Amino acid sequence: MPRRQPIRKAQESQPLDAETIAKRTKRHLDELERSNYAEPSSSYLGMEDEDDQAGKSAKGRARQTVSDKRRLSGPSAKGKKANMNIRTAILYRKNFATLVEESGLANLPSSIPTYLTAAAAPPKEPTRALCTVCGYWGNYKCRKCAMPFCGLDCRSVHDETRCERRVI
Amino acid sequence: MRRAPVIVLDNGASSIKVGATTSPEDVRIVTNAIVRSKGDKITYFGHEFDACKDFSSLHFRLPFEKGYLVDWDAQKAIWDGIFSDQVLNIDTAGTSLLITEPYFNLTNIQEVYDQFVFEEYEFQSYFCLPPAALIPHGQLFSVPGLPKPECMLVVDAGFSFTHIVPIIGGSVIWSAVKRIDVGGKLLTNHLKELVSFRQWNMMEETYIVNDVKEKCCYVSTQFSADLETCRSDKSRNSIIQEYVLPDFSRNRQGYIRQPDGPRMEDEQILCMGNERFSIPEVMFCPDLIRLHQAGIGEAIVQSINLLPEDLQGMFWANIGLIGGSTLFQGFAARLMAELRPCAPSDSEIKIYESKNAITEAYYSAMALAATSAFTNVAVTRAEYLEGGSGYCRRKFGTDYERGGNEEVARTPPPSAPGKVRTRTVSAMKRR
Repeated sequence: MPRRQPIRKAQESQPLDAETIAKRTKRHLDELERSNYAEPSSSYLGMEDEDDQAGKSAKGRARQTVSDKRRLSGPSAKGKKANMNIRTAILYRKNFATLVEESGLANLPSSIPTYLTAAAAPPKEPTRALCTVCGYWGNYKCRKCAMPFCGLDCRSVHDETRCERRVI
Repeated sequence: MRRAPVIVLDNGASSIKVGATTSPEDVRIVTNAIVRSKGDKITYFGHEFDACKDFSSLHFRLPFEKGYLVDWDAQKAIWDGIFSDQVLNIDTAGTSLLITEPYFNLTNIQEVYDQFVFEEYEFQSYFCLPPAALIPHGQLFSVPGLPKPECMLVVDAGFSFTHIVPIIGGSVIWSAVKRIDVGGKLLTNHLKELVSFRQWNMMEETYIVNDVKEKCCYVSTQFSADLETCRSDKSRNSIIQEYVLPDFSRNRQGYIRQPDGPRMEDEQILCMGNERFSIPEVMFCPDLIRLHQAGIGEAIVQSINLLPEDLQGMFWANIGLIGGSTLFQGFAARLMAELRPCAPSDSEIKIYESKNAITEAYYSAMALAATSAFTNVAVTRAEYLEGGSGYCRRKFGTDYERGGNEEVARTPPPSAPGKVRTRTVSAMKRR
């Protein structure tokens, strides 16, 4: 006998494809790496992550730096200007992904240990998931977004507040 | 001839541990960030953050991304402050430097380190190694009456990530180094997310949530049972803790309320239940946040399996913990519980805990800097101007693309590098 299911909107029962879920997981892991990770809403208030802005310049304006505006004294404080290498490093910030790409690590034979080869291999046994609402074992998964939850109560909270937002 | 003093600078992504051989015990811990406080509208550079009183909604600009130095503008501003009369008060041109760099630092980033050290600050000489590689010089594995072990396995769980670093005879075996992309930064963000969803919105309060993490979280040795405890009685159980959030209008710090502690009328309480142990659990099971990497226990097994078979027993018996994220209560006990079933039944397992996991690498580096051995391993400014970055890497033994090289760091330096060799671009630019 088929289980009784609550009537839900047709689109809600459409599960997301694995690719979308993987993309969201990746996005979430990137978010957890951010220095000022806050709700996306904060950017509306003009408080964007400076991480993304540092070193960039607005149209027609010189690049902004902080390091040469400091007035410090001490035996090594000096008036001389930094040389080209230093100016370049200060003015043109590259993110880590770009630096990895430019370093050409991906082209090295895999026998050479590098940042790319050092990552720990996946675990042998899968871990049990935790409920994203209350933190107890999450033995069930949302049909749509695959986020785990522990029971009906947490599922309804999930459906109301988190579904679609992301996958852990 | 008197040797120039050496500055030891453990350049962590979260905090810089810095001091000089002139007063080796005197370590300064400097926030490695430019912090903007919304409350008092002041921007604090590195060491200035000690003066900050209003910790609400702090904005952090960190020189490091994913554990690697990318924002040199911010880093220079912070270093400048450290070298100035506000902290060390030193003339960099009359000093040598021992600085740490991340594991598997990229060649293009290493070049910039060299440029800053010699071209901007003009240090007399410098030596640069990842933190775990300095541990053999320190006291982490020392037992009274016994020589230091030949083989050691250093677990460095820091702010950006966690590394398993095997060392034989003082040299890192790079081919067996393993990395887990979980560190203190990720754990704090994860906790921020959980409490913001479950209780108070604290997404803007990285600083406060980090304090909650440090004060309340622990590593569980019985995860399942603890989960049940938290579920059985949600408001009153042996695990739940009440963290009284700070009140900045009255300049009061956050603290854990003792069970019979007084209650104030207007205080805000953050209830820490299963968050207390499920946050650090991510280090042991990254799969919990869908990061498909082995946890610390299994990564140690992966690393040891890559080492010579006849030496593996020595690594099991010499595991050392460094880095701020190993400070969670119960960390070593849990690691032991995970490793015991994985090790051969006849191997002894011993875990060495540091007295101060955050400054362990600093003091190890200081021990090296204080001896004449430092002069042998350091690259002088003249050598850099002649041989460029490539020369530095060969001498430090951190030229990963050529296999890192395991013995270089200990061999005496070659005599003057006078032979014809291809100069690096940066050396060319000098003239």
